[in-house]
This record gives sequence, C-alpha cells and structure tokens, in this order.
Amino acid sequence: MIKLFFVTDIHGSNVCYRKFLNALPIYGVDTAVLLGDLTGKVLVPLVEKGNDTWECTLMGQHRLIETQEQLAEIKKITENAGYYWVHQSREEFDETRADPAKIDALFKQLVLARVQEWLDLADERLEGKPFQMFMAPGNDDWFVIDDMIDAAKLVHPCDRRMVDLEGHEMITSSASNPTPWDTPREMSEEDLEKHLYELCGLVKNYETAIFNFHVPPHGYSLDLCPKLDENLTMAADEKIHAGSIGAKKVIEQYQPLLGLHGHIHESRGAQKAGRTLLINPGSEYSEGILKGALIMLDKKKIKDYVFTSG
Amino acid sequence: MAEELAFARKASGLVRGLSMWDAFGVGFMNQGLTPSIVVLTSLGVGVYVGGNMIIAIVLSVILAGIGMPIVWGVLGGSMPRSGGEYIYNSRIIHPIIGIAESFGNAFVWIMWIYVLAPWVADPGFTMLAAFTGQQGLADWATQPYATFILATIANIIGFCFVVFGLKIFARAQKIVMFIGIGSVIVLTLVLTFKAGGFPDAWNAIAAENDSLDYNAFIAAVEADYGGPLPTTWNWYDSLGVMVAASWAFAYAYCMAFIAGEVKRPDKTIILANLFAVLVPGVFCLWTAFALYQLDFNFLSAAFYADNMENYAWSIEGFNLPYSSNYIGLAFIMEPQAWLGVIYSVGYMAFALWWVTLSYLAFPRIIFAWGMDRMGPKWFTDISPRFASPVKNHILCFVLGQIGIALYVFWTNSPLQGLAVTGLEVVTVFGVTAISALLFPYVKKARGIWDASPYRNWKLLGIPVITIGAIVDLVYLGILFVFFFIMPDLRDFTTTGIIFYACVWLAGIAWYFFWKQRSAAVGVDSSMTYGELPPE
Repeated sequence: MIKLFFVTDIHGSNVCYRKFLNALPIYGVDTAVLLGDLTGKVLVPLVEKGNDTWECTLMGQHRLIETQEQLAEIKKITENAGYYWVHQSREEFDETRADPAKIDALFKQLVLARVQEWLDLADERLEGKPFQMFMAPGNDDWFVIDDMIDAAKLVHPCDRRMVDLEGHEMITSSASNPTPWDTPREMSEEDLEKHLYELCGLVKNYETAIFNFHVPPHGYSLDLCPKLDENLTMAADEKIHAGSIGAKKVIEQYQPLLGLHGHIHESRGAQKAGRTLLINPGSEYSEGILKGALIMLDKKKIKDYVFTSG
Repeated sequence: MAEELAFARKASGLVRGLSMWDAFGVGFMNQGLTPSIVVLTSLGVGVYVGGNMIIAIVLSVILAGIGMPIVWGVLGGSMPRSGGEYIYNSRIIHPIIGIAESFGNAFVWIMWIYVLAPWVADPGFTMLAAFTGQQGLADWATQPYATFILATIANIIGFCFVVFGLKIFARAQKIVMFIGIGSVIVLTLVLTFKAGGFPDAWNAIAAENDSLDYNAFIAAVEADYGGPLPTTWNWYDSLGVMVAASWAFAYAYCMAFIAGEVKRPDKTIILANLFAVLVPGVFCLWTAFALYQLDFNFLSAAFYADNMENYAWSIEGFNLPYSSNYIGLAFIMEPQAWLGVIYSVGYMAFALWWVTLSYLAFPRIIFAWGMDRMGPKWFTDISPRFASPVKNHILCFVLGQIGIALYVFWTNSPLQGLAVTGLEVVTVFGVTAISALLFPYVKKARGIWDASPYRNWKLLGIPVITIGAIVDLVYLGILFVFFFIMPDLRDFTTTGIIFYACVWLAGIAWYFFWKQRSAAVGVDSSMTYGELPPE
C-alpha cells in the first residue's frame, strides 16, 4: 500500500507550502503530489513615504507602516496569503502602474524567485527522506516555471508525462478549459480533449492508473463554482459547472482508478464516476490553511482516503 | 477613498460569494422576531410574572451583543469553514468534545424542526383562522392529526427551500424577511398607537364572546396563580425573563454554518452577528415600551394564561377565539381581519424560516463530520445537479418528521422550545464560549491563533476574544442559573439534563466508533484535527 498526499492550488502561499513539506513526515506520506496553481495573483508594492514609513493596500485595506516590526509583519502576511511584495519609491510605483508590461515583468520576477525558493527548500527538506514529491503547475502558472521544476534536484516534475507511482501510472495535465480570466494554460475544449487523449495513450493499465488533471471533469460535484456576471462578480447564490467536458470524456471512457483534480477551490469533495474515485481537496490558501487529501492505494484498489486540513 | 496600492494579475479561482447582507439575513432570521417576542412575553413573563421586559432586553442586548459577535465572529473569522462550531471546538479543546457537542447541536437542529414546524400550525395557523373568523378551521388545526399535517407541510417547504441550492434559499429568504419585518412593523405600530382604552376594547370583545371581562380575567388568572399577580417588576424575575429573551438574541450564530462561503469572513461574521442582535433588540424594545402602556398585572396575567397547557383557554370562563399572547392583544386593540392576517402570516413566516434554517445547519454539520471521517462517506456527497448535500437533507427531513410525530402525538408542550434552548446553552453556546476563552492560550491551536486576523485585537493587554468570551459566559451563566438551578424551570429541565447527557454519550461513542473504523483501514483520523507547523 502507498500513502499518497495530494494538494493543489496553493497560489504562492508560503505558509501553505511549508505546511505541505512538514505534512509529509507528520502524515507518514510515501508520495506527495503538489499540483498547481503554484503562483500568486497579487503584488503589493510597499511604497516609501519618507522617514522610514511606507504605505500599501493589503486585502482591500490601506495600511500605513511606521515601524520595522510592522514592516516585517506586513511582509509575512503578504507572503503567507500568496501575495508578493516589493519596495518601491513613489516614482517607481507610479511608473510601474502606468505600464502594464512593467507590472507583468515585475510579477514574473517575483513569481520565479518564489518558485525557486520553494524548490530549494524542498531540496533541503527532502534530502535523505523516504518520501518522494511530484510537482506540476496549473492553468494560472506561466510556462517558464516548468523548466525550473524540471531542473529541481529532488522534486520530480510530472506535467504532460506519465510517471510511475509504485505500479500506478500517473498522467498529469496542468491545462484547463477556457476561464473568464484568459490564463496562460487554457485551451479550447477541443484542444484540451485532444491533449488529454494523447496523455491517456501513455498509459498501459487504466485499471490502476491515476489521472491527475488540474481541471475536474464537467458535471460532477467537484466542478461547481459561483456563477460570474459580465463584470466577473460572483453570484452569491448560483453555482454552475466549470469543469472540462474533455476531462469528463476521457475519465468516463478509460475509468482509471483515481482522478486527482483542483482548479475549483470551493468544491472540496470526492465523488465516484463509475469505478473512478474523483477527488478535489479544495483550497483555502488565502487563509493559510493547507487543504489536502490522503489516499491509501493498494495495488488494484483504493483502500481509503481522508481529507486533511491543517 | 484610499488609493489602491496593489497590482493583480488575471488568474482564476475565486472562492467566497456570500455578502454581509446574506450573512446578516441568516443570523437575523434565526432570531425569529415575531415568535421570539411571543416567547419573550408568554414563556418569559408568563413564567417570571414580575419580570421587566425592558431590563431583560437591554441586559440581553448588551451581553449577547458584546459576547456573541466576538465569540462567534472571531472564531468564525479565524477558522472560516462551514461546519459551525464543531470546527472550533474540535481544534481548540479536543475532537471528542467537538463531536459530542456537535452531536448535541445536530440534535438541536432536528429538535427545532419538530418544535417549530408544529408552531406554524398552532399557534400560527390557528391565529390566522381565528383572526379571520374561521373558528372551525382554528379548532381543526389544534387537533393532533391536523397539526401533524400542517407541520409536515412546513417541513416539506423548509426542505424544498434549501435542497435545490442556495439560489432558491437566498431569494426566498429575502421575501420571507420582507414579509416578517413588515408584519412586525405593522403589529408594533398598532401596539404603540392603539393601546389607549385597552380595557374597554377587551370588555367589548369579551361581551361578544361571552368571555371574562378585563377585571374578571385578571382575577381568574390570579386564582390559578395562587395569589395576586405583581403590579410592578422585580430584579429576580427580570433576569429570569432573559432565558426566554435569548430566543431573540442568541441565535445569530447560525451564520457560522456559512462561514466558509462569506466574503471577508474576518469582518463579515462579526459585524453581521452584531447587527443580527441589535436589530431584534430595537424591535423588542419598541414592543416592550408599547406593551407597558397596559397595566403591569394585566400583562402578567395575559402572558401567564397564554403559557398554560391549553393556552388562555385553560382559564375557566375565557372564551375569546384567540389566546392572550401579545399578538392577540394587538388584535383586540384593532380587531380587523386584514391586520390579523398580516400578524399571523408574519408569525408563520418566521417559524417556517426557522425550520428552513435547520436544513442549512444540520446537513453542514454532518458534512463536516464526513470530511473529518467522523461519519460515513456519503455525508460528504454533493449533488452535482443541485449543488447541495441532498442525502443529508433527506436524512434531516426524515429525522424531523419522526420528531414532529413524537412531539405532536406525545408531548406537544410549547415549553419543549425552552428545553432546546437549555441544551444549546449547555452544549453549543457554553462549550464554544469556553473554546473562545482558551483560543489564544491553547498550544494545539497556536498556529491558528498566530494566523488569526484578531491576534492583535487587545484591550488593556487582554485579547478581545477572551473579554468577549467572559461576557458571553456571564450571559450564559445567567441563563444557566435560571434554567437549571432556580425552581421555576428546574423540574422541567432536570429531565432535559438526562437527555442531554445521553446525547453527549452518544456523541462520544460515535467518535470512538469512527476513529476505530478509520484506524482499521490505516487512517489516523486525529490528523484531520491537528494543525501543521508552518515553519
């Protein structure tokens, strides 16, 4: 039996990533899979006001920072929520704000630095330990981070390939169907379906296989999310299915042992699709809570699973 | 408006959708305004006949208004998940306490269905029929089988409002809230401006129905009471009235069951909770001031009589078609059928929504158990079609129906409502207040406290949650004393204590059963409660 720990969508949260690494020995994990989205969405400039004071907007609130302790605290909160921070003078901030390309470049610089920091930390923590760790991006993550994961010493990449988990063939896709945000790894449903069928071609034994698709299959309870209006504002009271029809097709056709999914943070849960157990551990990264799923895999069946929250 | 000093990139994955208004709606509606004022008067002043409603309300609003929002808001904002207090108590105190307490609360929500669904029938529907002159229909509704049928209809409606997803629930809640608040405003306006000459109004209606006149009614009630009713208030009875007043102020905590779905939970839960105490406070105070235009001893007599086994009809010679609760008094002041319809429909709307909110809470409680492997896996099944835990709703409906049958055909005492409150005071509110008190100091919850947005909220160096928990415990302490120690309710609640102990023991047995079952397949379920070290 192998004990598989699956986590997804931590979106740059330092505290969640550290909890993830710490969970491996605490939960007695054999294999850990950290699926994207790995990168954060918000950049918080700490704008200098003079006399060793700064200002910023954090979680919708304007903050005035007057001491080094407050500054350290703001940086920690920012990192733990999955945000990035940068020191800027007023002129630098105005210049950046006026130029979307500069914002994009600054984002990329900070995102890459944090991914590298995470990979270095994993190398440090995994050295000589009995568990293995796989990592793959999600639809929100720029392609540039793939090379960094590929180059990691002890973290194994798994996106767009088949890897063997002690007899279980696992295929992974970081792609998603279209979203309202036009994210880096989106594909049309047709292209995504084709891409997933190609991946399925790498599998020899579907009966014991794991389909690790970032986007959940359409029409199940794992892909329910709030409906958005034309301004991308959420309806509080109406949910729609946002999963992929292509993912649904391949899962229902090949009936793997296990489907591991993310993407829809609020739809934490498990559901059967024929003989396939589908799991979405959900995400509460912005609250610093690490949501995960621990799955006990026998050779040909899932012995049990439990959702974790730490 | 402050300048936005942040950049965001296009990225998917929004999480929370419910607003402050939605959270307030859930909290406010669970305070059930009109029926709660009936409870405050008929079960409060009806038992503690020398109680001063204004003092009871003001003390309740101050204590519950400080304690409850801080306890539930800080815990909910620090652990914003939708399993209610089970999440807090299992993480801060111990999983066994969390499950045992939660087991009690799951029972409470089922009890609310079987106590309150019959209230839609009687006194709700019976008032509607009586106010519109349909006495035969009113008499029919008091028959057990009729009450069972009407309560079943209420239970089905409550089930349907929630099972098909939050969209229908949220829209229906707005309509029900509009009807309920509108009805209370009309009712209180009548009480305020039509109270003059009330004895004459009473005597006129009494003459029409061959019933006791104003003075004879007071005398008849005093004969049953065993002495003269007080003509002014005293402190002991005023504190006793707080027990029943808690219905209007202690129940906004229901929003903890949607904490995982509200936007900005760190602010939303605490503020929505506060407003859900203050708004009923305003209406209760207004009602009390309006009622005190009547003679003190008459009010005591009217509410004492309405609290009897057969309402005011237990008093020999009382033949009015409606009982002497505060809605009945308003109708006597201005006996117009259309006003009676407004009052009774408002009452039924609030009672019905209480039943509906049980369908919001109970399925989420057992969903949270399922997620922690403290129940069967199907507790976590979400219907892809309705985006709700349909199986849990069906279980809730079935248990509610069994309870309705037992209540209607076996006990059928309005005081059962107080038994539920007693169970909540001890198990839900009490244990959760202790969790809040311990939260900043417990080692096992240190990680959560350190990440809490409230960790720097301090007054004189003391964490605000500790202060809030102490205020809450003072409030609950008053309720506890009058529930379990003072003689007025003690006999009634002693049976309840045995029942509560059985529920707790069942919860502890449930915990060990599922822990053992998980261990058998290699899962240490205790890992779901532990906090992971962040460093």
